Amino acid sequence: MGSTLIAIGAGIAVLTGAGAGVGIGIATSKAAEAIARQPEAEGKISRNLLLGCALAEATAIYGFVIAVLIIVFLQ
Amino acid sequence: MLEELNSETVFTIPVFNGISISESVVVTWIIMVMLILISILIVKNLNIQNISKRQIILEEVINRINEFLYGILGDAGKQYIPYLVIILFYLVFANTIGILGFKPPTKDLNVTAALSLMSIILVEYAGIRKKGGKKWIKSFTNPIAIITPFNILEIFIRPLSLCMRLFGNILGSFVVMELIKILIPVVIPVPFSLFFDIFDGVIQAYVFVFLTSLFIKEAIE
Repeated sequence: MGSTLIAIGAGIAVLTGAGAGVGIGIATSKAAEAIARQPEAEGKISRNLLLGCALAEATAIYGFVIAVLIIVFLQ
Repeated sequence: MLEELNSETVFTIPVFNGISISESVVVTWIIMVMLILISILIVKNLNIQNISKRQIILEEVINRINEFLYGILGDAGKQYIPYLVIILFYLVFANTIGILGFKPPTKDLNVTAALSLMSIILVEYAGIRKKGGKKWIKSFTNPIAIITPFNILEIFIRPLSLCMRLFGNILGSFVVMELIKILIPVVIPVPFSLFFDIFDGVIQAYVFVFLTSLFIKEAIE
C-alpha cells in the first residue's frame, strides 16, 4: 500500500513537465516565426530562445527532483 | 537503481578521524588533469606567422567565447571573463565525461551546490565592488521600496535554482541513460547518448555560465 502511494505521488510530481512542455513549445513557435520574419537576427533570437527554454525547463526539473526525493526519502 | 543517486566514498584519507573522498572529487581530479594537460599541449609552438590549423581552431574558439561573454558583460565586467571561461570548460568536461564511463561529478548535488555558491558570491562581490557598500544595500530597494523582501529572497533563490537546474538535468539524463542501457544494451543507446550526454551537457554548461554572467551584468549596472 505504502509503496503504491509513493509511486502515485512521484507520478503526480512529474506532471510539472506538462507545463514546461507547453511553455517551450510556445517559445519555439514564436522564435521560428521571428526568424522567418527577420532571418538576419537569428543569432540573438536563438540565444534568447535558449535562455527562455532553460528557465521554462527548470520547472520540469524541479518536479523531477521532487519525485526523486519522494522515492528516496519516503521508502 | 537508487544507489546510483548517492555518491560513493572511494577511499578515506587517514587524518583527523579520516577524511572521506567521494567519487565526484576523484572524477574532478581527473578532469583537472585532463584540462591542465590539454592546455599545456595545445599552446605549444604558437606562432605569429605560418600558423598551424590547431592554432586557428584554438584562436577561433577562445575568441568566440570571449566575444560572447564580453557582449553580455561589457567593459565594466571584463575582469570576470576568465573565471566564467574556466567554469564553462569545467562544466563541459564534467557533463560529458559520462561517455568515457565515469560518473559525471555534476550528478552529485554537493558539486552543483558549491558551483552555484561560488557564482552567487561572485555576483554579490561584483555588485559591492562596483557600487560600494552603501549603494549596494540601497540597490535592494530598486525599483520601489515595497519589493525589498523579494530582492533579498532572490539572493537565496538564484543559487538554489542554478544548483537544482544543473543537478536535475544531469541526474535526469543519467537515469534515462541507465534505464535505456538496462532495456536494450546494444546500438540503441548510441543516439540517445549523443543527445543526453553531449548535447544536453553542453547546453547546461552554457546555460549555467550564461545565467551567471547575466546576474553579474545586472549587479554591476
